[in-house]
Amino acid sequence: MFEHSLAFDRPGYLALLVLVPVVWRLGYRSLAGLGRWRRWLALSLRTLVVVLLVLALADVQYQRRSEGLTVVYLLDQSLSVPAQQRAAMIDYVRNSIRQHRRDAAGDRFAVIVFGRDAEVEVPPVSVNEALHSRVESQLDPEYTDLATAIQRAKAIFPYDAAKRIVLVTDGNQNVGNAYREARGAAESGVSIDVVPVHLEPTGEIAVEKLDLPSGVRRGQPFDMRIVLRNDAKAGDETPVKGRLVVVRKAGQREETIAEESVAVAPGKQVLTIQQEINQPDFYTYEARFVADDPAADGMAQNNSASAFTHIRGSGQVLLIENIERPGEFDYLVERLRNEDIEVTPLGSDRLFNSLAELQRYDAVVLANVARSSAADGDNVASFSDEQIEMLVRNTRELGCGLIMLGGPDTFGAGGWANTKLEEAMPVDFQIKSAEVVPVGALCLMMHAGEIPQSNYWQKRIAIESIKVLGARDYCGLVQWNGGDQWLWGQSQGGMIRVGPSRQMMLARIDRMTIGDMPAFDGGMKMAATGFARLDDASVKHMIIISDGDPAPPSRGTMSAFVQQGVKITTVAVGSHGTLGSQTMRDIAVQTGGKYYEVRNSNALPKIYQREARRVAMPLVYEPPDPMAPIVEAPQHEILRGTEAGVPPITGYVLTTVKQNPLVEVILRAPEPAGKPENTTLLAAWTYGAGKAVAMTTDAGARWTKDWPSWDGYDKVFSQMVRWAMRPTGDTGNFTVAADVRDGRTEVVITAMDDEDQFLNDLAMTATAVTPDLKSLPISIQQTAPGRYVGSFPSEAAGSYLVVVTPGGGKAPIRTGVSVGYSPEYRDNETNEALLKSLAQLPAGGGPAGDYVEQGLAAIALAQTIEQNPFRRDLPPAVTNRPIWPWLVALGSCLFWGDVFVRRVQVSFTWLLVALRRARDYLLGREPVAAAPETMSRLRSRKREVTQQLEGRRAAARFEATGPTAEAGPPPLAVAAPPEAAQRPAAAAEGEGEVAEGESYTERLLKVKKQVRRDRDENA
Amino acid sequence: MAALAAALCGCIAGGSGSMPDAVWGRQGIRPGELEKPRAIAIDAHDRVYLVDMTARIQVYDVDGRYLHGWKTPESKNGRPTGLTVARSGRLLVPDTHYYRVLVYEPDGTAVTEATLGGDMGRGPGQFGWVTDVVEDSLGNLYVSQYGDHDRIQKFSPEGKFLLEWGGSGEQPGQFRRPQSMAVDGDDHLWVADSCNHRIQQFDGQGKLLRLWGGEGSAPGQLYYPYGIALDGEGHVYVCEYGNHRVQKFTREGRSLGCWGESGRGPGQLNNPWAIAFDSQGRLHVLDSNNHRVQRVRF
Repeated sequence: MFEHSLAFDRPGYLALLVLVPVVWRLGYRSLAGLGRWRRWLALSLRTLVVVLLVLALADVQYQRRSEGLTVVYLLDQSLSVPAQQRAAMIDYVRNSIRQHRRDAAGDRFAVIVFGRDAEVEVPPVSVNEALHSRVESQLDPEYTDLATAIQRAKAIFPYDAAKRIVLVTDGNQNVGNAYREARGAAESGVSIDVVPVHLEPTGEIAVEKLDLPSGVRRGQPFDMRIVLRNDAKAGDETPVKGRLVVVRKAGQREETIAEESVAVAPGKQVLTIQQEINQPDFYTYEARFVADDPAADGMAQNNSASAFTHIRGSGQVLLIENIERPGEFDYLVERLRNEDIEVTPLGSDRLFNSLAELQRYDAVVLANVARSSAADGDNVASFSDEQIEMLVRNTRELGCGLIMLGGPDTFGAGGWANTKLEEAMPVDFQIKSAEVVPVGALCLMMHAGEIPQSNYWQKRIAIESIKVLGARDYCGLVQWNGGDQWLWGQSQGGMIRVGPSRQMMLARIDRMTIGDMPAFDGGMKMAATGFARLDDASVKHMIIISDGDPAPPSRGTMSAFVQQGVKITTVAVGSHGTLGSQTMRDIAVQTGGKYYEVRNSNALPKIYQREARRVAMPLVYEPPDPMAPIVEAPQHEILRGTEAGVPPITGYVLTTVKQNPLVEVILRAPEPAGKPENTTLLAAWTYGAGKAVAMTTDAGARWTKDWPSWDGYDKVFSQMVRWAMRPTGDTGNFTVAADVRDGRTEVVITAMDDEDQFLNDLAMTATAVTPDLKSLPISIQQTAPGRYVGSFPSEAAGSYLVVVTPGGGKAPIRTGVSVGYSPEYRDNETNEALLKSLAQLPAGGGPAGDYVEQGLAAIALAQTIEQNPFRRDLPPAVTNRPIWPWLVALGSCLFWGDVFVRRVQVSFTWLLVALRRARDYLLGREPVAAAPETMSRLRSRKREVTQQLEGRRAAARFEATGPTAEAGPPPLAVAAPPEAAQRPAAAAEGEGEVAEGESYTERLLKVKKQVRRDRDENA
Repeated sequence: MAALAAALCGCIAGGSGSMPDAVWGRQGIRPGELEKPRAIAIDAHDRVYLVDMTARIQVYDVDGRYLHGWKTPESKNGRPTGLTVARSGRLLVPDTHYYRVLVYEPDGTAVTEATLGGDMGRGPGQFGWVTDVVEDSLGNLYVSQYGDHDRIQKFSPEGKFLLEWGGSGEQPGQFRRPQSMAVDGDDHLWVADSCNHRIQQFDGQGKLLRLWGGEGSAPGQLYYPYGIALDGEGHVYVCEYGNHRVQKFTREGRSLGCWGESGRGPGQLNNPWAIAFDSQGRLHVLDSNNHRVQRVRF
């Protein structure tokens, strides 16, 4: 499967290998004194060191060529592809890998599904079984983004294999640029095969537009235009018959204003309906066409269009109240109506779903409503993050008033801390000072590992819980991971303060993996011990989520919780075919907690928001005696006419006033003393284009029982609402028209004064709020006398709200446009041109991809699929790894080897002796008696000693040098055995042999000795 | 130091002397691969049966060579957590979350007429979450269960309900998740009372004979004993899910030593669920969260 080789990034350095002969020449002479074997060894080591260094300088690379191939199948799951074809894509992949993928060749496959986003369904694997029977990833199918899918595929390709993408799609992209992305991929060596999804040609009816004229006025008839389009099959001139229904919505009211049969001929057709509006409100018109023969209409999703118009009148207020206490604010509603303010009460279980729904109101009041309120496990009313964002945007961008009325379920005590709503209010919902408010402690126990997407849900609920907690609150999370464990703070008892550790906690939660807990007891014991060491926590709460499978806790453990006053809420999730657990019910009952049975995991975050809120209850401040509020801003419009003072209160929710010059504190509580920043009762500020009011006590219920009988009651609350309301003044002769064309919305404002003269040179601004709640500033330019024009992109389907501020103190003008359906539903033909161009892109220097003309339906279940995505027509993947550091390290080691060889002489004579003995032993021979000291043995010994001495001398000098005149007599003269000295003749006999290995000094010494002997003999 | 401390207190912590003589198994979903195996049984022919979190029952030889496999009929509610080879050679599968005991031939053929239970309830012959089933020398079956009502029920060889005992609790004779059982030569029943961290011994009529153990990690103590096996020489082997080890006891409950520690290397365990002896007296430890089997000689 792999081939290995070496490559060089700087081959020029290889020329330095010419140094090798030089090293040899120098070394051969200088190392002569080492003897033959050591010299050769030293030379070899030196040569290797030089070669390795040269290779390192040449930046040698270890190169591996892989024959493996990875194929990534990109499956288009957008709604422009019929459901049957989408399902067939999985069959095709299974069929394709079964027929063509080969384990032995190192083939891998991966699957990415895409719509607007792209998700990895199967990562690159070499196991066919990894493919599921259906697509499991969650996608936004309303759009097609081929480019992102290709990008994702590029990111998951393994580096050590050739790469191929198989694109299964109809090619109708409406986001991104697939060709540009594919070209980039192809240039980097990725081959692209295309299996087109052929769309059957069908007739297509679309409601293209619903047009309302600009400047609709109360009681004035106007024409509404509906544009229908019939994309008939080629040659088909038959009109498509059907019913056109037009409805008008205002708040909860919905009425059908037209219902008629129409026949839509091929091409465009415009229908006009006359309308008149008599009641001021924000109106949404919707036109829907239903074909008599469904087969005549390919897609139903593009059969409707809508438009808004707004008729100004007196102020409208939306009052959202808690479903757990319906009717709590009936008295306030009645008094406001008495003051000519239209109030619409709404339970927190029937919340708005779009920004457009809020446009009929000029102020929104959150009346003692918690972020989450519950009826039972599966019916929990909760403000989603998106709904909170809508409320905030509605104030900041669109100028609507926002009032939060107090009660024990609001502000920080209502679970609103750390939400966007907190940003919009003039007070923060958390208290930093320990002297003012006690802290709470929350322990989470996680054991829901067997519900679908368990990791996701458990992480989500843990995060939601931590969000609700204040900085000084304690939090711990106990789970089974090989044993009962705290997720954090193990050494500190598991329960630690949230403030300094919030980010760490969120990071740990993100990495959390939860095992199968055998019993509640172990983890609960840990939790009870953790709670026991928190002396300063006034509220202690625990939430257990489980399938009820673990064994129940012991009596001792339960009594530890009861004694400490820890309430335990248990959340039973179904995972073993049953739902509900007597064990979990008992735990909740014994500790005074709540027991939930949850069928739908979507309810889990809401339950956790609600339950974690119990820990925030210390924020409610209820002193034993009533207290008279301190009036801080008697001149404020809200308090105007109440100079006699405000009746006492018996409680409120602690907050921290924002340090912002725009914030006006109007009423303040006298207690707790010395903490004015936390005792706000009534504060207001201007937030963006709107105004927000925070009233931390209630409106005549639990804490303000004297207020309903107070004569200033109506005055204060009506003035509060009117102060916060969106300006409702006359907008004069300003008319705004908005029109969608080619993915952009054009806003045209005509400005005239009371005498119908054009107003010029106005500093006009406008903002659009997109369906995903983003703000788009619109640049408005004057293009003609009294005519101002701006535009913004509006490709995504949904409602776009536009606020125009005319300047000159005029009230803002609102309008909106609706983009009825995604461009996904406009195309009903396969984009073959694009798909063919993608398949024709050559992969690097290799061939172009395959375009499977038959299309998906023909090959999905075919016995033999000719197109083989695992074909070997791509150059093999080559991976390089620099190895010069290893070579340098090896060279360093060998260099020390060279030094060792030259400086240290190792004798192996013992080895010969040992081998001889072993031979004798094995062969059963008698050991040979030691031979007498013959002349030959002596000569041999002499040679050996001479070589040793020479070696030492050479080593001592580091390099062998020639003899010097000062050289003294060799140690041999001293060390030589006496016998040798007594047998000069014998020594002379061996001279010829010795001379070869003798140095100049030794030869000189011998000559001197000989001369001396001759002289003695002559004497 | 840790090894020394462990040695001094009687436990072997994965040193060279404690290395298993075989480690096999690989995580995966292909035939022969394992995904958190939860029960093991070995038959007289040394065929090793494993059931894992994908509800596959797979058969291997004692060296880990895959032979064949099959799946239980349903697994949406949960997977089996026990396996036993009956004296007839048939495989008994406590199908935990379907309140029944399935019966298979060694080749995987289902013996549907021999299925025991299937109804959830507290009555005779009804089951909660079934954990294990064992057979005594007379062919009587003992079935353990947990959930709202922890107990053991005894059935005749024909499947007729005979008696029950236990109940949820911490008192002697009660259970908190009786996860595993073994029958000794005297037809006495040894029960791993997992969440009470103890072992209980009963006679065939449910009379409590012995009780030992206790929560902890010191030798002689137990932490979630999930598996139990007898070597026929008077020793009781207990596999501890929470302590990641196997401990050897005398029948009286005196600890003779431990094997294994938490980890992923050979000789280390990660939440072991079960143990079983083969015909050569080697102990096979189901190292569940490491997706493998370790074979060790004591």
